[in-house]
Amino acid sequence: MVTAAPYLVLVAVGAPALAGLATMLLPDARRLTRLSLATAGPVASVVLVAIHLGRNGVSPADTPTGTIPWVPSLNLDISFLVDGLGSFFALLIAGMGVIVVPYARAYFGHDAASLARFFPTLGFFTSAMLGVVLADHLLLTVLFWEMTSVSSFLLIGWDRDDADAGKRAMQAFFTTGLGGLALLGGILLFGGHTGIWRWSRLMAEAATISHDGTVVAAFVLMFVGAATKSAQWPLHDWLPGAMKAPTPVSAYLHSATMVKAGVFLLGRMLPAFGALALWLPLLVSIGAVTMLLGAVLALSQDNLKRMFAYTTVSHLGLLVAMYGLGGASTTEGVRTIHWDLTQIASHALYKAPLFLVVGALAHLVGSTRVAQLHGLWNRPGAGTKAAAAVLLLSGYALAGGPGTVSFIAKELFFAATDHATAAHPLLAVVGVMAIAAAACNVAIFVRLAATVFGLRSGVGDASDTPDATHREPDSWSFMLWAPAAALIALQYLGGLVPTLWNRTFSGIEANVHDEAFADGLPWAWEPFLHPGMPLLMSMVAISAGTALGFSRWMRGDLVDVHARIWPATYRGILQGGHRLFHSLQTGHLRHYLVVVFSVLTLCIGWAAWADPAMLRPPAGMDPFEYPAGLLLGAVVCAAAIALPMVTERVVRVLVLGASGFAVVGLYLVYQAPDLALTQLMFEIISVILFLLVLRLLPRPDHRPRIRVLPRLALASVVGISIGWMTLLAGHAVDNRAEDAPTLGKFFEAHSLEGSEMTDGRGGEGRNVVNVILVDFRGFDTLGEITVLATAVLGVWSMLPGRRRHREEEDLAVDTGQGAQP
Amino acid sequence: MRMSSLILQTAVRFILPLTFLYAAYAALKGHNGPGGGFIAGLIASVGFCTYRMSYGDRAFHRLLPVHPRWLVFVGLGLAGAVASLPLLFGQPLLRSASTTLHLGGSEVHLVSSMAFDLGLLLVVVGVAVGMISRLGEELDR
Repeated sequence: MVTAAPYLVLVAVGAPALAGLATMLLPDARRLTRLSLATAGPVASVVLVAIHLGRNGVSPADTPTGTIPWVPSLNLDISFLVDGLGSFFALLIAGMGVIVVPYARAYFGHDAASLARFFPTLGFFTSAMLGVVLADHLLLTVLFWEMTSVSSFLLIGWDRDDADAGKRAMQAFFTTGLGGLALLGGILLFGGHTGIWRWSRLMAEAATISHDGTVVAAFVLMFVGAATKSAQWPLHDWLPGAMKAPTPVSAYLHSATMVKAGVFLLGRMLPAFGALALWLPLLVSIGAVTMLLGAVLALSQDNLKRMFAYTTVSHLGLLVAMYGLGGASTTEGVRTIHWDLTQIASHALYKAPLFLVVGALAHLVGSTRVAQLHGLWNRPGAGTKAAAAVLLLSGYALAGGPGTVSFIAKELFFAATDHATAAHPLLAVVGVMAIAAAACNVAIFVRLAATVFGLRSGVGDASDTPDATHREPDSWSFMLWAPAAALIALQYLGGLVPTLWNRTFSGIEANVHDEAFADGLPWAWEPFLHPGMPLLMSMVAISAGTALGFSRWMRGDLVDVHARIWPATYRGILQGGHRLFHSLQTGHLRHYLVVVFSVLTLCIGWAAWADPAMLRPPAGMDPFEYPAGLLLGAVVCAAAIALPMVTERVVRVLVLGASGFAVVGLYLVYQAPDLALTQLMFEIISVILFLLVLRLLPRPDHRPRIRVLPRLALASVVGISIGWMTLLAGHAVDNRAEDAPTLGKFFEAHSLEGSEMTDGRGGEGRNVVNVILVDFRGFDTLGEITVLATAVLGVWSMLPGRRRHREEEDLAVDTGQGAQP
Repeated sequence: MRMSSLILQTAVRFILPLTFLYAAYAALKGHNGPGGGFIAGLIASVGFCTYRMSYGDRAFHRLLPVHPRWLVFVGLGLAGAVASLPLLFGQPLLRSASTTLHLGGSEVHLVSSMAFDLGLLLVVVGVAVGMISRLGEELDR
């Protein structure tokens, strides 16, 4: 069935990257055109996804859009799954992209070169991220997943002059890349075991998947992938480190979209794996620890970006715990998950504005330190006041204050922990941890507000003024805070007048379990009319948080012990690699040969052990057919034995040549004129080469002390086993082919004409040797001449003589003096 | 590296055309009789090398005016192209095609792998000549 739908989605996924690439064609100065083009990409994605949804509706999770064949031999195709989860994330990502692009224009200001570099990378990321959330094929998801890691690496290490940014980029790439590998491993394990390679089929057959060890192992690996991407404890340290990136990147990748990829993956996995016994304990424990740890660390940060990074870590933990609790809803019918997408959207809608406004403050005030915001509200400038207002409004949503979507979202989570506790009393711990984390968020808001209004209980005092001079405002300055204002407005719109929000989300929310919120989000006052456990928990959190915020507690810079994991790992890897390298790469050819030959002997020995028939001499062999051949063989052996005994290099070459010419004779005796001729020519050329090289080599000062016996043993074993293998290969009999049982017979029979065995194709030549070279084993030959070409390139480039010679000549011409001193 | 003996120089004058002639014969005949691109390449290389040894670097450059790397590049490119050409027609790598030409009564059977053989020849000559002349230059200085 060929439909337009998958192509439409494919274009929607690719549009941001294409638009980003297209901006590279523009000259640096064309900033407005560049901006419009870069914005057009995500806009096109939004429009196309909307068109798709308008035409086809939100598809059920088990119905993919049609497929586009890609690599049929690998069973890989391009197919998309535009279900509620996927389309929600796609619209979130593309919509955020539309907002971030003009913000980046304002953020980078007149730095045209940065903008020229920024938009292609951002477009690449947007496309990769859209691919992750819309892909149906599991491997396609992994492909896009890795692309997001790469673009995140590029964007964190944006400042090329900052060595620390480079290190942080590597940390993020290493951590998420490790997770990506785990995800790939999990998917391969799962797909190989069950034969399910599509999310849609996974949803359709969710109930029939057995919970055996392989599936559990695959699930754990996939969870590792999700957890590293979503910065879960104990590998969360990369996310605060990623704050080295420019603020548009932090707002877009590291708060709103990319770090949610792990959460998205868990949302995808919930229907299929939620019933696993391990799901709830694993996700809830990791998520809850991350949630509390992030919140506590955030409270003590002085840098705004790092503070919000830690609150992001905290909220990601909450989302993971939310999906973890959701597992109970699939197995036991407990109402533990409700409107998860609202929870995710709510976070994006206050966290992105927070980051955006931090970038604005960096430009308007010249600092991102909390202490230097003291009395911000009373400072001059309309932009400053607007930024301060947006900061406070977003902070209020961060605290989960009543009147915001965030408040309701927190209620939903509290309700889930409440229901879960009823089923498993131990989960009450999670409820307590959630209250503590929420209290920390409230305290953060209280402190921010006190600081901004210049109260004594705020951080810092009026003497704290940034030393950096802030930038001259230009016509784009309003774009520094306007996007944030637009986003945060949605928080309050949804919180105060939930009708529009409910209408939007009721179509795509798949996890609807709580009848207390059956009609969607309630009006702002309704939770107060029906008090219950969730409201009580909220109130405890808000009052405790307010007290904590005004108190003197937890104001110092708390150091995260997990920050030591990465440097230690990095050092360990480098040192281990260094040691491994030096133990393997000694720089002595004889050591390499020992390793290579030992491995070869082991392999042959293993094969002989597995198949003892290899040790029997092949049938039909008559060693005494040609006495002359035996004589020449003896010469070859004698030359080989004599070779290590002579010390003069030139004599060695001659002895080697003697053995070679004896081989020529052997070929003649056994009637192989081609080979004899080749060997003859080869001997001549190699003797010339040897003599040339030997004259260039320095004389060794001392002969290396070598233990003879082990090497003699190894050499004998290798020589005998290789010789034996060659003999066996020549006589190996394939009983399936009656007319051509051995290799020799096969080549003889097929060199000119084909047979059924070769699909009627022969080599069309009478010279068997040459047909083998260029036809039967043509691929070998192609590889060999490539090796030859590489070797000669090495000779040309590594011998320094001619280059030095030329340079001396150039020098002589320059100075007008004679050629050689 | 030069062995300027009059006997060698005179002999090479006669030997060189013969080696090239034999190399060409081996290359053309190779698919059906003793010979082939690899052997032909080696034969030609031996011819080049003896010429270089007897007449020296300068004369050798007159005999082979291009740098040997071009032989390697062209040869490898030709072999690679012949090998991958069948992919364009939906055939597997290195699948050979053949045609029979009628030239005034005699039939010539042409197989595409002969072009592969020619690439092989060029690479072998380029590598052998290139290595030996490069090392020789090193010694001459």
